[in-house]
Amino acid sequence: MSFDAPAMDYAGLSPVIALTTGLVVIVLASVFDSVKRFGPFLALLTFAVTAGCLIWQWSADIDLVSGSLRLDGLAATLSILVVIAAAVSVLLAIGDPSETQAGRSDWLALLTGSVLGMVILAQATSMLTFFVGLELLSIPLYALCGTNLRRRESLESGLKYLIVGSVGSATLLYGLAMIYGASGATGFQAISDGLQAGDGMLSDSLTLVGVGLVAVGLAFKVSIAPFHQWTPDVYQGAPTPVTAFMAVATKAAAFAVFIRFFLVALGPLADQWDVMLAALAALSIVVGNVGALAQTSLKRMLGYSGIAQAGYMLAGIVTATQAGVDALVFYLAAYVAMNVGAFAVVVARERQTGFSDDISTLRGLGREKPLLAWPLTISMLALAGLPPTVGFIGKLYLIEALVDDDWTWLAVMIAIGTMISLGYYLRVVATVWMSPAEESEAAAASIDTAALPPQIAGAQADPFTDSRADRRWYLVAPALIAMAAALFFGVIPQPLVDFAQHAGNALSVWIS
Amino acid sequence: MTATWAWLVLLLPLLGSMTIGLTFRVLPARTAGLIGVTAIVAAFVCGILALIGLQGEPSESRHVASSLWEYASVGGLSIDLGIYVDPLSIFMVLVVTGVSSLIHIYSYSYMKSDQGYHRFFSYLNFFVFSMLVLVLAGNFIMLIVGWALVGFASYALISYWYRRNTATKAGMKAFVINVIGDIGLYLAAILIFKNIGSVDYGTVFEKAPEVFTTNEWEIVAICLCLLVGAFAKSAQMPFHTWLADAMEGPTPVSSLIHAATMVTAGVYLIARCHSLFELAPTAADVSAWVGLVTLLIAGTIAIAVTDLKRIIAYSTMSQIGYMFVGVSIGAYSAGMFHLMTHAFFKALLFMAAGSFISAMANMQDIDRMKGFRKAMPFTAAMMIIGALALSGFPGTSGWFSKDEIIDFAHFRGGMYDWMWVGMLVGAFMTAVYSFRIIFRILPGPPCEEAEYLEEHGHVIHGEPKNPATGELEDTEVGYPGEEHHIAEQAGGMKFAMAVLGVLALIAGVLQIPGLDDVVTKFLEPTFENSVFSHMHPTTSESWIGLGEGALISLAGIATAWLLYIKRPDLPVRFRERFRWIHTLTVNKWYGDEIIDFLIVNPVKAIGRFCNRAFERFVIDGATTGVAGLTRSAGAAVRDMQSGLLRGYAVLMLFGILAIVIYFLIRSI
Repeated sequence: MSFDAPAMDYAGLSPVIALTTGLVVIVLASVFDSVKRFGPFLALLTFAVTAGCLIWQWSADIDLVSGSLRLDGLAATLSILVVIAAAVSVLLAIGDPSETQAGRSDWLALLTGSVLGMVILAQATSMLTFFVGLELLSIPLYALCGTNLRRRESLESGLKYLIVGSVGSATLLYGLAMIYGASGATGFQAISDGLQAGDGMLSDSLTLVGVGLVAVGLAFKVSIAPFHQWTPDVYQGAPTPVTAFMAVATKAAAFAVFIRFFLVALGPLADQWDVMLAALAALSIVVGNVGALAQTSLKRMLGYSGIAQAGYMLAGIVTATQAGVDALVFYLAAYVAMNVGAFAVVVARERQTGFSDDISTLRGLGREKPLLAWPLTISMLALAGLPPTVGFIGKLYLIEALVDDDWTWLAVMIAIGTMISLGYYLRVVATVWMSPAEESEAAAASIDTAALPPQIAGAQADPFTDSRADRRWYLVAPALIAMAAALFFGVIPQPLVDFAQHAGNALSVWIS
Repeated sequence: MTATWAWLVLLLPLLGSMTIGLTFRVLPARTAGLIGVTAIVAAFVCGILALIGLQGEPSESRHVASSLWEYASVGGLSIDLGIYVDPLSIFMVLVVTGVSSLIHIYSYSYMKSDQGYHRFFSYLNFFVFSMLVLVLAGNFIMLIVGWALVGFASYALISYWYRRNTATKAGMKAFVINVIGDIGLYLAAILIFKNIGSVDYGTVFEKAPEVFTTNEWEIVAICLCLLVGAFAKSAQMPFHTWLADAMEGPTPVSSLIHAATMVTAGVYLIARCHSLFELAPTAADVSAWVGLVTLLIAGTIAIAVTDLKRIIAYSTMSQIGYMFVGVSIGAYSAGMFHLMTHAFFKALLFMAAGSFISAMANMQDIDRMKGFRKAMPFTAAMMIIGALALSGFPGTSGWFSKDEIIDFAHFRGGMYDWMWVGMLVGAFMTAVYSFRIIFRILPGPPCEEAEYLEEHGHVIHGEPKNPATGELEDTEVGYPGEEHHIAEQAGGMKFAMAVLGVLALIAGVLQIPGLDDVVTKFLEPTFENSVFSHMHPTTSESWIGLGEGALISLAGIATAWLLYIKRPDLPVRFRERFRWIHTLTVNKWYGDEIIDFLIVNPVKAIGRFCNRAFERFVIDGATTGVAGLTRSAGAAVRDMQSGLLRGYAVLMLFGILAIVIYFLIRSI
């Protein structure tokens, strides 16, 4: 008997195939005790192969699965960012309570599943794959947030994310249905054609309300104000490796579909939605930066900072130009480097201080643990947009794209947001470097005894506390590499600019 | 060749800073100091070689733009990692590296007992590097980079004694105000790019006259944004409050950053962008008036306060006010010349002040200093030279430079005559407060500390204390070390002060009206396209101006003598009679309080409100109403605070409604 494989573009689908295969292998491996401990290795291998496939198909520009997916520059670049972020989370999760308590293979399988959803989302060119990808991304994440089974906040954050996330998904689905009603199509290109062909459809209330609801659903995923409230809570409550993954990878994947849906499917409507997105971007910049000022928890602060950064990035879509997309993708890449550095340090520090992420636990870090202090410092300076880091070029790129397209007021908002943000980023830097070591010990000691919630106070006996966390290669290496990248691309940004333009070029048919 | 030397000027301080920063565990402290000094001296030598190379060119091609590589090409904007070498930037390079070399040598001795010696030199070299990036930048983006790095270096150095709360606070304040300035510069660069399509100096200055008509609102907006940057960096009103607090840094830092180099960056910026400011005369006038107001107000404060370093700091603000007036009314070479002479005598005054403060075991109050003439004759002599130059005593460098600016205002006439009068009043006050310092701390019976120094030959050892608050400290890292040194006993300090003393006295010969005009001729290629380049007072007018200046200076010194030596009861009686004037000036015209009231407090209130609205409101409101949801969520989460959810849902709903309504309206 001969077996005829269905005719399809295996090369183009190779990243998805690689991830699916990896997922199956990881799940199967959990059955056998002897191979179980190779879980992280298997996951890393999966991501490496996926990245390899993406690089192999780097210059591809092809429709897949009868036009439901599309592998092009945009998909390739953003999938690479997702895969990098996932690989880092695997490293950060080694020895983390969440990974152990949830069962290592299960944790990794959930992560790989979410990555699969993201890669599909980055390639989605039809409303069906769009929604499937988004749910495949989200559902494992809801579970991952709750994997630290002994910490109440972790469970709480998972549930919270699930409930609010479902509202977001429902809104999105409702909006998609309306756009389907208005255009009679599901493919992005077909929606655009349908809206233009239909009589008066471009300004019909059905279409426009649909656009608004889709924007809300996506704004929720990338945490744009006023749909951001879950972000600080969930970032703080979730196990830190999961937070790192969520902060970086979710943004990359959701922005991929944000770009594609708004610029391809809704491109003809750009004049209708640009003001609304600009208003949301401006609001996020203000809310994120002002909200971050008052935070004492590092993860919470990074959550608010993420809201502000999402606002900056959304400004790239507002322009609806290729330069805007380039700038957005550049900023996303920079964002990966900056956040990975920060979160890796937070994970390491958490394990040393009994799982407290209060900013005061960073005291004296500069003197005692330079290998953690430097990456954190550079991350903060880069997030604040100070030269010569990649964050500076990223902001410059965005501002340039905005000014070029006559959105000067939004560029000014970014500049002002940057100014406010120095207030909280530099506070972290100051805490790291300016305070003496003795106080740091005292602070660490007081945390154990002070009247903190029991789950933190009890951490003294926590088997996951690791006093040598600052010397574990799997924590320090990502931090150092991220730091090197943030500096290198700050001084020699051209390779990253080329990377970003590869994404922008993929849309050159649709936008100027 | 010129460009190569200029690149070396940039590279050497960076290398010095990195070497010291990376090897602080292995290198002995003194070696680190030597590396720091060598790097800056070598940079100065390279600066001179670049100068020689540049002077070898014919005057019309005396500018070199050099680019290492294309920093980034994003969209339509291409940014080179480039420098721009012309007489103006070389002038600044020489002032910066020259004065920095001397201050490094001074610090080498002065900071000897400090526990953070490596860190100090690493920061100091890094500062010089940043400052050189600022002055050598070839486009506005590099300028912003330099501008931001300088702000950062200044923050690090002000907070150098980081365990002192007052020092870290002062550093933060300086940084925040500087960042506001950065934003101004940022906006200016955005607007320039928007209108001209380039950020490169050469292109921008060339195209600006074609793109803009005079006083068009866009060019005025650009110049006003540039001015925000300049005012913040140069401590002009209303961004001046940080400078006096910045005196919390070690004295060499005050001398280098807050007198000689960084605070003059605003002056350099206006001179550099003179072709833009000439297209926006309104903005230039704003700048000149701000300079005038600053110089007068700072002068009155300098007469009232009693903290030695703060008197000199306010005097710096006041002198920079002169420079602002100068470069804003078109007296470019005079403004730059005053920048240079001011760097000499102000650095000298700070160095001498540092020496006195060490002798006083870190006390800075001039009410407690007395009779240092015999105990520290060398320092006293240097202090007098500095004060003479500052007050514009005939023949000193300050006489030539300050009066040239004052003269030019009179020469332009009209509205500028008011500035002329204002600046003459300022000059009188300058002489009074300069000699107030001299007459209060040098003559008379020696105070306890001076006596001790005379008798024992070394300084008195007080308990380590914060001079501002009187809090007790130790001498470990993060606080000042055991003792800082005085010029009488430390070769390095003596050398640096002697060189500056000579320069403060004789640097005026560079610019004797009608005789040589070296600075004007040297800077000519930079300003030759300016409408003011061929406008200057005649030689006889200049000498009349110098004569007036001499009279005013002598009158000021005589007044100071009358008030502080002959009739010391007069100031006291004046203070009692006009208490409100004293209260106003000694409180620095309530600058801090006004800014707190107008800006800081509202911002804080908004922050608190947002915090409440976005978090508290939701948290408080939510905890009660969620029982149902929580119960259904199961035992694991029974008492979680996820009441928040209801609040989230409400806010999300509002958001959705707003967007839907917006689109419904658009669809009509």
